[in-house]
Amino acid sequence: MKKLVSVSVFLVLAAACGSEEPTYTTPASGGPPDRGGTVVVGIVSDVQSWNPYLVEDLESEHVLSLLYPSLAVEQTDYHRHPPSFAPSLATSWTWSEDHRVLTLELNPDARWSDGAPITSRDVVFTWRAQTSPEVGWLYGYVKDFIETVEAVDDHTVRATFSHVYPYQLMDLNDGPIIPAHAWSEIPFDAWGDTDWKAHALSGGPFSLSDHTPQQEIVLTRNPSYFRAPLPHLGRVVFRISPSADGLLTQLLAGEIDFLQSVPPDRLDRVASRDDLEMVIYDNRSYTHICWKTDSGPMADPAVRNALTTAIDRQKIIDVVYAGFGRIAVGPVLSPFWAFNRELRPLPFDPGAARAALEAAGWTDSDGDGFVDRNGQTLSIEILAPAENELRQDIALLVEGDLEQVGVRVEPRFVEWGTLMAILDAGEADAVVNMWEEPTQIDLEGLWHSPAPGEPTFNFGRYANPEVDELLREVAELTNFAEQKPLLDRIQALIVADQPYTFLVENTRITVHSALIDGAEINAATPFFNIDEWTVDDAAGR
Amino acid sequence: MVRTVVRRLLLLIPMVWLVATLAFVVVAAAPGTYADTVDHPGLSAEQRAELEARYGLDQPVHRQYLRWLGSLATGDLGVSFVTKEPVLRLLARTLPPTILLGGAALLLDFVVGILLAVAAARRPHGWFDRVSSFIGLGLAGLPSFWLAGLAILVFALVLGWFPASHMRSVAASGLSGPARLADLLHHLILPACCLGLVGAAGTARYLRATLLDVHGERYILAARARGLSDRRILWIHTLRPALLPVITLLGLSLPFLVSGSVVIETVFAWPGVGLTLLSAAHARDIPVVMAVTVLGAVAVLLGSLVADVLAAVVDPRTREESL
Amino acid sequence: MRHADGLHVGSVGLGLLVALCVLGPAVLPAPPAADPARSALLPPGAAVTEITLSDGRVLVSPDVTVATEAIVVRGPYRDTELSPADVVSIREGRFLLGSDRMGRDIASRLMAGGRFSLAIAGLAVIIALLVGGSVGVAAATGGPLTDSVLMRLVDALMAFPLLFLLILVATLFRPGPAALALILGMTSWMGLARLVRGQVLALRGRSFILAAQAAGASKTFVARRHFLPNLAGPLSQDTALRLGDLVLAEAALSYLGIGISPGLPTWGGMVAQGHRVMVEGWWLATFPGLAIAALVISLALIGDGVQERLSRGAVS
Repeated sequence: MKKLVSVSVFLVLAAACGSEEPTYTTPASGGPPDRGGTVVVGIVSDVQSWNPYLVEDLESEHVLSLLYPSLAVEQTDYHRHPPSFAPSLATSWTWSEDHRVLTLELNPDARWSDGAPITSRDVVFTWRAQTSPEVGWLYGYVKDFIETVEAVDDHTVRATFSHVYPYQLMDLNDGPIIPAHAWSEIPFDAWGDTDWKAHALSGGPFSLSDHTPQQEIVLTRNPSYFRAPLPHLGRVVFRISPSADGLLTQLLAGEIDFLQSVPPDRLDRVASRDDLEMVIYDNRSYTHICWKTDSGPMADPAVRNALTTAIDRQKIIDVVYAGFGRIAVGPVLSPFWAFNRELRPLPFDPGAARAALEAAGWTDSDGDGFVDRNGQTLSIEILAPAENELRQDIALLVEGDLEQVGVRVEPRFVEWGTLMAILDAGEADAVVNMWEEPTQIDLEGLWHSPAPGEPTFNFGRYANPEVDELLREVAELTNFAEQKPLLDRIQALIVADQPYTFLVENTRITVHSALIDGAEINAATPFFNIDEWTVDDAAGR
Repeated sequence: MVRTVVRRLLLLIPMVWLVATLAFVVVAAAPGTYADTVDHPGLSAEQRAELEARYGLDQPVHRQYLRWLGSLATGDLGVSFVTKEPVLRLLARTLPPTILLGGAALLLDFVVGILLAVAAARRPHGWFDRVSSFIGLGLAGLPSFWLAGLAILVFALVLGWFPASHMRSVAASGLSGPARLADLLHHLILPACCLGLVGAAGTARYLRATLLDVHGERYILAARARGLSDRRILWIHTLRPALLPVITLLGLSLPFLVSGSVVIETVFAWPGVGLTLLSAAHARDIPVVMAVTVLGAVAVLLGSLVADVLAAVVDPRTREESL
Repeated sequence: MRHADGLHVGSVGLGLLVALCVLGPAVLPAPPAADPARSALLPPGAAVTEITLSDGRVLVSPDVTVATEAIVVRGPYRDTELSPADVVSIREGRFLLGSDRMGRDIASRLMAGGRFSLAIAGLAVIIALLVGGSVGVAAATGGPLTDSVLMRLVDALMAFPLLFLLILVATLFRPGPAALALILGMTSWMGLARLVRGQVLALRGRSFILAAQAAGASKTFVARRHFLPNLAGPLSQDTALRLGDLVLAEAALSYLGIGISPGLPTWGGMVAQGHRVMVEGWWLATFPGLAIAALVISLALIGDGVQERLSRGAVS
C-alpha cells in the first residue's frame, strides 16, 4: 500500500503536530521539554564555517539558518506579487512616507544561547560585516542600495535605502544576524583565520552541540530561542556523505531520516515503502539548452525556433525526470508573479520544424539525411557536464529528436573545468544547463547583451537592443506592478527569439521518514518550519 | 646497512620534491580553478577578482608554486579551499580511517591468503587445492567495486546484518568505549572484506606457487628422506624461505595503506584519504591535492625501504642485492 | 588441474571474449533499437516489437497490440495509437541481456565496451612493453653508468604514488581513449624495465651466450637467437598479468566517473550506472562485472600457465 504522497507547492500544510498544547518545563526549572526525538538529515558536504559570512555554498547556509536568526522569514506567496515576509527577530516594521527608510522593532525577549540579549547592536554589526571588503561576503552586493543601518535604541533599527525598488526588505533581510557582543572583538581581516566553532552562539531554534568534521553535526534544541513554543525536536543530526547515491542507500537502510533531494529516477524504490514519505514541490529552477546566437547557424532565430519545435520536451520529462516537472516556457518560471501568463511553450511538431528549416534555407540537397545550406551541413555540438548524468541523457535525447528533422548533433561530455573555459570563451554551439531562479526577479545577468571581453553568464552572447532598453527601464521603476508590463514584454521577446530552448521547470522531491510530522518543505530551505516538526521516535535515538 | 638506510632516507627529500612538482604542474595545467566552482551570476567583476585573490589564484603560476613550496618547507601545508580547515588537520583526520581500512584489509589479505595457500600446498592438486584455486581465481578477477555494490545490496539492504556505509553510527560519540569500538568494527567488516578478500585470493595463488617451488627444492627432499613429518617440513623448512616473497609483497603493499582504495572509500563513504583526493581534485582544492600527493610519495618510498630492510633481515642472501 | 590446462582454458577464455566483442555484432541477431520512453530497464531475454514509421520514428515496446485498424504501442508513461498506413516495418526482437535506462541493448554495449577496454589496455601494454623494454635493455647493455642512471630514474618514477597521479590526471583532464592508454602505459612500464634488465643481465653471463659471442656472432644475431626467446617467457607472463591489472584499473576509473568520456560505453562505467539501480535493474551491473572478471581471470590463467611451463622447462 503506497503511502500518500503529499504535494505542497502553493498550499501551506497545516502543522499537524499534535492536538493538545504541549506542556513543558521552562529552562529555569530545569529539564528539556518531554517531547523530543532526533531527526537525522543526510547532506553531501560539511559546513564550511560556523560563521555564515564565510561560507560559499547553499548547504552550509541551510544548516547555519538553524542557529542564526533572521529579521524576517520570506514566505512562499510569490505567485501574485513578490514574496511577503513574516516577522521573526523583527516583530514589526514601518516604512517612511517616501518609502526610503524602514524602521524595525526587534523582539525584546530574544536572547543568544549564552544569555546575552539580541539587540539592534547585533543588527548594525551584522550589516557592517556583510558590507566589509575584508570579510568579502559572497552576496555582499545585495546591500549595495542600503545607505546605512543604525540603532535607534536597543530594540529599534532604522535602515535607509538609496532609492525605492520592490525588493528593499528582501535585500535588508538577506543574511542572518550574528552576535556583536561575542564577535566584534575579532577584527574583520582576522575572520578568515578564526576557528568559528569555538565562537558559535545560537539565537535560533537549535544550537551547536557537537561537530565531527566531514562526518557529523549534532544540534540540540535551544532553550533560549525567542519564539514560543520551543521546537519539539530534541536534536537534529546532520550526517555527511559525499555521494548522493550513498545517501539514498542510507535513507533506505534507515540510517538517515531526511534527504532533501532524491533523483526522480530512483523514486520507485521509495514509493513502495510505507515508512517513507515523499514531498514534491517546485525546485524554482529550469533546465534548458543555451544556443550560440552571435554567429553560426543558430544566429537565425527562425532556426532556433525550429530546433525547439523539433524537441520532444515531454519525453525528456518522462524519461529523464520520471514524469516529474513541467515544460518550461521562458526566462521567468511559471509560478512566479512576474511570469507572462499569455505565453505558451512552443509545440512539439517535427513536421513544422522541418518546414521552418527549409524556409530558412536548410534542405537536404545531398541526400545524406542531414540538412545543409551552401554546402555546409547543419551540425551542432551539444555540451553537457561529465559529472551530471541527467544532462547527458538530455543531450542524447535531443540528438535523437534533432536527427529526425535532419540536424546532426554531436553530444560531447566535458569535465566541468573545461566546460567553464569553453563557455567563458563563448565557443560552445550548445550546452545543456540549469539555472536556479531567485525570488528576486533580475533578468539582467542572463539576458542583457554582454560587454565585449567581460566574463558573462550570457553564454550564447544573446543580444537584443530592445530587451536591453527594457531592462534599463525596469531597473528604474519602484514598484512591481509598474514593472510587470515591461517584464511581460521582455519575456515575450525572449520567447520569440528562443536564445534558449526552454526544456523543463524542475521539480524537487524530498523524502523523509514517515515518523516525521508537520514538516513544510519548500525550495527556499528544507527547514522552513523545523521548529514545528515532531518525530514519533519510539525507537529512541 | 645503516648507511644505506640513511642514504635512502636522505634521497627521500629530492624525490618527494619531484613528485610534488609534478602534481602541481598537473593541477595548475587543468582548466578551471576553485574560484570557478563558487562563481555565479550576480557576482560583479570586482567580487570575482576578490574571490581569486583570497585563494591566491590571481598570482602567476610560478608564484603560487613557490609560495606552496615555501609553506611545505616550514611544514605548513596550507588551508583547504573547500573546507577552510588547515590541511594538516585534514590529513590527521582522514589518514587514520584509511590506514585502519587498509590495515584491516591487509590483515585479512595475508592471514586468509597464507592459510589458504598452506592448506592448498599440503596436498597439491588435491580436491581442496583445486576448489580453492578455482574460487581464488574467481575472486581475484572480480572488480572490487562491483563486489562492494553486491555486498552492500545483500548484507546491508536485504539481510541488514551490516551498515551500508560510513565509519560510525549516528551520534556514536555518545557511546561508551567498548560500545564505540564494537560500532567501529561493525562498520569496518564489509569494506575490509571487499578489499581484503580479493587481495587474499591473489596472495594465496602467489604464495601457493612459491611454496610448491620451494617444496621441490633439494634440501626438502633430503629432509623428507630423513623421515621428517610433512607438517614439520611444511612449517619449518618450507614456510620460512617462502616468507621472503611474502615480505616483499607486504612491503610493496605498505603504500597501499595510504593510497588505500579510493573506490571502496567512495562506495562506502569511508572518510579516508582516497576520497579526499578525489573530491579535492574535482574542486581544484590545490593545497589538499598537493598534500595528499606528497603523502602518497612518502608512503611509497618508506614502504619500499621497509620492505627491503625486512627482506635483508630475513634472508641475508638478499642483503647485498636490495640494499 | 594440470598446468597446461590453465593455459589452455585461459587462452580459450580470452579468445572467446575477444571474438565475442569484435565479431559478436556481426554474428548475433541485430538488437532492438533504443526507445528511452518505452524500452528502458527491460530484463534479460525480454521480447519486444520494433516498429519503424514512415516519418523515421522508431518505437520499441514489449507491449504492442497489432490490429488491422490500429496498432497500440503501450509504454510506462503513455500509450500511442498508430495507423498501419504509417508503418514501414514491424520486427520482433529480444534484448539478450536486458536494456538500460535509456533503452539501449546491454549486450551490444557490453561488446562495444569490451572493444574499448581491450583496446585501451592493449595499447597501454604495448606502450609499457616498448618503453620498459627499451629502458631495460639499455640499462643492461649500456655499461654501469647508464645502468645506474636509468635504474635511479626508474626508482624515482616508481616512487610516484601512481594511483594518485592517475586519479589526478584522469579527474582533471578526462583524457580520450588514446590519451588514457598512454597514461596507463606510462605509469606501468617501470616494473617491466626492471624485469627486462634483470633477465638480460642474468642471460648475459650464460654459457651459450658467451659461446656465441666467442664464435663471433653479431650483437643483433645474439639478441634475436638467444635473448628474445628467453625473454619471451617471463615477458609474456608479466604482460598477461599486467593486462589484467590495466583492465581493472581502467574499469575502476570508469566506475569513479573519471575514465573516458561517459558517453562511450565502458564496462566500469556500466557497473557504476548499474549500481544505482541494483534492485530494479540487477542486470545492468552484473554482466559487465562478470565480463571484467572473465577477462581478468583468463589473463591470469594464461600468466600462471606460462609461469608453470617456464619453471618446468627450467628444472628439466
